[in-house]
Amino acid sequence: MSILSKILKTKKEKRKQQDDNLRQKQDPLKPDQLPILREYNENINRIKEELGKSPDITIREYRVGDRRGALVYVDGLADGKAISDFLLEPFMEVEPNATDYFQYMMDKTVALGSVRTITNWKEVYENLLSGSTIIFIDGYSKAISGETKGWEKRSITEPTTQLSIRGPKDSFTETLRTNTALIRRRIKSPNLWMESMKIGTVTQTDVAIMYLKGIANEKIVEEIKKRLNQIDMDSVLDTGYIEQLIEDQTWTTFPTTYHSERPDVVSSHILEGRIAIIVDGTPFVLTAPALFIQFFQAPDDYYSRFDISTAIRLLRMLAFFIALIGPSVYIAGTTFHQEMIPTTMAIAIAAQRENVPFPAFVEALIMEITFEILREAGLRLPRAVGQAVSIVGALVIGQAAVQAGIVSPVMVIVVSMTAIANFSTPVFAMAISARLIRFILMVLATMLGFYGIMIGLMFMIIHLCSLRSFGIPYMMPLAPFNIKNQQDVFVRFPIWAIKNRPMFISKKNVVRTGQNQKPGPPKPDDDEATKGESS
Amino acid sequence: MKKTISIFLLMILMLPILSACWNQKELTELAFVMALGIDKGKNNKYDVSFQMVNPGNVTTGQGGGGGGGQGLPIAVYRSSGDTLTEVSRLATKKISRKVYYAHTILLVVSEQIAKSGLLLDVLDSLDRDPEFRTTAEIVVTKGSSALSLLSALTILDKLPANMITKELKSTESMLGENMKVSIDDFMLSLVTPGTEPFVNGYKVVGKKSDAGKTSNLEQTTSAAYLEADGLAIFKAGKLVGWVDHKTARGIIWVLNKIKSTGINLDWDGKKNALNMVPIRSETKVAALVRNGKPEVDITIRDEGWLSEANLPIDLTDPANIEKIEGATSKEIQKQVLTSIKTIQKKKSDIFGFGEKFHHSNPNYWNKVKNNWDEQFAQLDVKVKVKTYIRREGIRTNPFWSDFKNKR
Repeated sequence: MSILSKILKTKKEKRKQQDDNLRQKQDPLKPDQLPILREYNENINRIKEELGKSPDITIREYRVGDRRGALVYVDGLADGKAISDFLLEPFMEVEPNATDYFQYMMDKTVALGSVRTITNWKEVYENLLSGSTIIFIDGYSKAISGETKGWEKRSITEPTTQLSIRGPKDSFTETLRTNTALIRRRIKSPNLWMESMKIGTVTQTDVAIMYLKGIANEKIVEEIKKRLNQIDMDSVLDTGYIEQLIEDQTWTTFPTTYHSERPDVVSSHILEGRIAIIVDGTPFVLTAPALFIQFFQAPDDYYSRFDISTAIRLLRMLAFFIALIGPSVYIAGTTFHQEMIPTTMAIAIAAQRENVPFPAFVEALIMEITFEILREAGLRLPRAVGQAVSIVGALVIGQAAVQAGIVSPVMVIVVSMTAIANFSTPVFAMAISARLIRFILMVLATMLGFYGIMIGLMFMIIHLCSLRSFGIPYMMPLAPFNIKNQQDVFVRFPIWAIKNRPMFISKKNVVRTGQNQKPGPPKPDDDEATKGESS
Repeated sequence: MKKTISIFLLMILMLPILSACWNQKELTELAFVMALGIDKGKNNKYDVSFQMVNPGNVTTGQGGGGGGGQGLPIAVYRSSGDTLTEVSRLATKKISRKVYYAHTILLVVSEQIAKSGLLLDVLDSLDRDPEFRTTAEIVVTKGSSALSLLSALTILDKLPANMITKELKSTESMLGENMKVSIDDFMLSLVTPGTEPFVNGYKVVGKKSDAGKTSNLEQTTSAAYLEADGLAIFKAGKLVGWVDHKTARGIIWVLNKIKSTGINLDWDGKKNALNMVPIRSETKVAALVRNGKPEVDITIRDEGWLSEANLPIDLTDPANIEKIEGATSKEIQKQVLTSIKTIQKKKSDIFGFGEKFHHSNPNYWNKVKNNWDEQFAQLDVKVKVKTYIRREGIRTNPFWSDFKNKR
């Protein structure tokens, strides 16, 4: 790895100068700070020129008293109905004899919620391209920006990637405001603070961070803001960009930030003192810091009773483990440790493998890769051909491969078991890292048997313990072990017994549940008292 | 730089494919030895037979295109030599796969080997081998060679070695005339002072020449089959004699290994009129020196039910039940004493009485340990039995008792 980073470094240095030169030259969209001119015609021409006469830039000219003026907006981004109702109509009725038209319009005519005076071109473009309408009046070196945002947006639908049996069924959409509203609707606290910024030199994407003031760790909030402000890229199209730019460690397969499309999950994270990062244009919201154990906590865990959720959580962890070592245990067992397989099973496997021409590793690799291809294809294929592919897949993986003598039936079981187990991890980002590590473990198992698997797992655990998410150890509260925070790790305690927020995240203000919250039948004394009252 | 790295990566990628790992062996390259049979050789010291599994013929159903179920489930290879290692290595001349002992569950020793004391040499070799499991069971053939025992085909369990171990387990729990003896058990009894080992006997019944043919499997009454028969008593690693049937059961009883069995009782002058089945039995052995004389007190407490009554008897009467309890106790006592006497004549302390003395009275033990076999033969053994009959099955009196009384 050190060699790799060295290479990257030398390359970086070489390219850096070229890059810097190029970027300064090729940055036509970088809005300059020039002021708006008094001359109306020049302003209009400038807009037309700089936006390349794009047809969706609508310039509606009109007269205000004895002066000329224009409304400029982007068709599709601005709400046409709002413009005609609250801007155009009142304009037509402007009193012709006002002394200061600009002030008059600001005060009396523009019937919009948010109106601002803008003076330079940078602001003009920022407002115009995010859906506002800009009003120019001849003879004024400033313009009015009225907010008329109103583009087509997807309505709130059920989550598609993080499903749950019980619990809310709404999910985030691509609109930042809708998403922040979904969170605010759940946490009606004045302490729910939001800060927004624009990231992406070209895309100027709106990014907001949300956290609970007083509960979220100030240091982490500052750290996240610092890292977000450092981002210098042309575009941010998804939280995935941000995730990769702000995570602590790039050389890992494990996700160190959590992403979700469920407002209830994000709200619960905010309530635990985590910070949410919402990006306009994507329904996935990031939360940080993220811990390893968090990726095994499904929303259902909190909505169903504790005994059931504990059992299911343990099952999920087992499934993760199976997904990790399934094929490698098969390889190690059949090529190194035949004595550890029960006799009858060893004979059965031997009988099935009798006609398989490949060693166990190659057999496993063929099946695993076939399955990975099928899975990837299944993800990308147009819905119309889905059925065809699934039939082919079932036949290829199941029947045909066995009958053709390429693989043994046990291998099919191992691969399908592994695949199904892999899907039970609630967060895809964690599932996919198990998928990658599985192949490394398979190679180790081929070379060294169970010994190799143990070496692999040991390195994995050492690596996991070395990870940090915004300074918080990734394996918290297991390593370093913290006895006070075990209520929501392997065993999900009854909800009344989880008295504290994870202390390592929100250092102060950790109590979340009051005293004596344990429910129970009414006390006999109370019963008699109520009886006495009623009689 | 880039070149070095790509070569390095390529080397890592090739590693799993090119490496011939010293310990790696594919399942299909192994010949599973299920049972090992040892006979005295004609020219050499040992004639060894290997009972190998033919995997494709054992598993039923879709056996990877192996056409499961047809053909013989086992193959028996023979090899001879003067040491077991030599035998094993010479066997590779005949066997296409690596001979694999980790799944061996049975060691069959011929009577000749057991009598000659060669068993100790055999066990040393097996005990040393890290692959061979000493949890494998050991049996001595009675009246046939180990080879013919290993070559026999069996019906219910396709693998004869499996059949033998399972059969021993079931007879131990249902009848109690045999008990599971592993190589470990054998060696432990052998090296413990004051204890001698014993081993299950096994024999081929019927036409021995047909035992290994498929025709044997195509008849409802097999021409030849395998049967557990008695216990082989050892002394100083040599077979000194056999005991069987009720005498064998008495031994198992003293060793507290009886789980269930059946005891025929005489009643009112009628022979074998009743049968009592113990379902729980506990044996306590106390070794003590009384007035300078060694004595062993055996207390047996067993509970069970009455499984047969072939004469008119009023089983609703508690007095009768009490009498039956007494009779059962007497019968058990008689049988156990007979067994002990028989073994005392052979001067081989398979009960481990000596060890009991060693534990309870080390001073006495130190005096007699060099001459224990003689002491054992003259040992005064007392047996006390207490029987409890808890029920009479799902019926009290015999169903015909009224009907017979009317006549």
